Amino acid sequence: MADADLSREEIADQLIEIIAKEGMVDKARITPDATLQTLELDSMSIVMILMVVEEKFNIYIPMDGSLSEASDLKSLIDTLTDRIQSSNA
Amino acid sequence: MRDSGRRRVVVTGAGAVSAPGIGADALWHAARDGQSGVGPLVLTREVNNKVKIAAQVRDFSAERYLPKNVAIYCDIYSAFAIVAADEAIHQAGLASAGPLGSSAGVVLGVGAGGINTIETVHFTFLRDQGRIDPLAVPKVMPSSATSHLCIRYGCTGPSFAVASACASATQAIGIGANLIQQGMVDRVLVGGADSTIAPVSFRSWEALRVLTPDFCRPFSKGRNGMVLGEGAAIFVLEALDVARARDAPLLAEVLGYGTSTDAVDMLRPDSRGALAAMKNALDDAGIAPDDVDYINAHGTGTILNDTVEAQAIRQLFGDRTDRLPVSSTKPIHGHALGAAGALEFLVTVRALMDDIVPPTINWIESDANCPVDPVANQARPLPLRTAMSNSFAFGGINAVVIVGKPDAH
Repeated sequence: MADADLSREEIADQLIEIIAKEGMVDKARITPDATLQTLELDSMSIVMILMVVEEKFNIYIPMDGSLSEASDLKSLIDTLTDRIQSSNA
Repeated sequence: MRDSGRRRVVVTGAGAVSAPGIGADALWHAARDGQSGVGPLVLTREVNNKVKIAAQVRDFSAERYLPKNVAIYCDIYSAFAIVAADEAIHQAGLASAGPLGSSAGVVLGVGAGGINTIETVHFTFLRDQGRIDPLAVPKVMPSSATSHLCIRYGCTGPSFAVASACASATQAIGIGANLIQQGMVDRVLVGGADSTIAPVSFRSWEALRVLTPDFCRPFSKGRNGMVLGEGAAIFVLEALDVARARDAPLLAEVLGYGTSTDAVDMLRPDSRGALAAMKNALDDAGIAPDDVDYINAHGTGTILNDTVEAQAIRQLFGDRTDRLPVSSTKPIHGHALGAAGALEFLVTVRALMDDIVPPTINWIESDANCPVDPVANQARPLPLRTAMSNSFAFGGINAVVIVGKPDAH
């Protein structure tokens, strides 16, 4: 698929767009050290984000597993990027 | 145990339809031997699903197992119930008993009811502009399976369905036992039936992100979700005096039932609710935590459920937890939702009868957040006096039943 050619940075940029929109977070508040708690990203926000990630990247990512360890935005984006890239490998 | 003078309730028959196969033996042997019924998912329509596994009942149709005049009224969930109930009735020695009459009732747990029929009707009528199924209504009703059993065995006492999501069947078993204890009936068919592995339903579960894409591994580090199942398990419960009078087989005694509600969150379980349900069941049975020898856990394989359940167990059972096997058999038969408590009650009863604790398979490493003994991967022979079966539902509804050996008291 076309997304297979995206770099990590490009994937991360798209993820930030998704997180801002689906998590209803002001993009200005999206910084690497922001925690999911301070951004008020609860589990339902993550569900909505993962739905769009699935539509965009054609990948199923469950709530649990590696994603459950993410507590800040950087680890969330890193984990999602890892999963997207490994699914394209 | 409690000696309140209330009527004692025994299980005299059991039957099942589940991913491991048709029959109670198929389910118990799979659970005992760690043989998973999970396999490649087969859906009747393409819905672009990403999760490709489920614990499905293979090669099953109502027409294959039931006469045409019965099958025509059946969603697959009702057909599961009837096939399982026939086995239970036969084991109980009631197959030739004729109509069971007004002293017999039916109480079944159901999660979604006839969702396969709903989906088929919608696709056919709305998308394909086809003919509506004239029997859609009696197939879809959440009480459809209950009414099928009443008609089939002539049960003219109280009958109803219990809908409390994943706690449905365990509540049905507990409430059915209550009906006998209260003297409302002498005999009641209880259990649960469900089949939610329909295309849109499955996709909806997937959208909640609680399904594992690979392995269901309850209480294990690295777990990443549950696997959907389907099926039915049906039991004949009878007053002990009635069962003894006709020399019925006594499989187990229903010692206690407890239920509670979190009243906190639709999806996130609260350990206080789980703890309250287990404590209520112990109180109802009149036994102490030390008297429980095995827990068949709800153990879905999600991070949150297993953590909350394990911590509630540790809190209630204290040091006893170190000597208390707690296993989840959901990796074997899947999470059958409205039927889950029934499939697991069957496994619990058979564990008690055979003095064997079934394993939690797919377990790879202990999780410090789940401080219980999960009976990892291998069954364990162990003399069992009593066993507990837990069911904790979305919406925060909790139900627990405790069984004991019928001749132990």
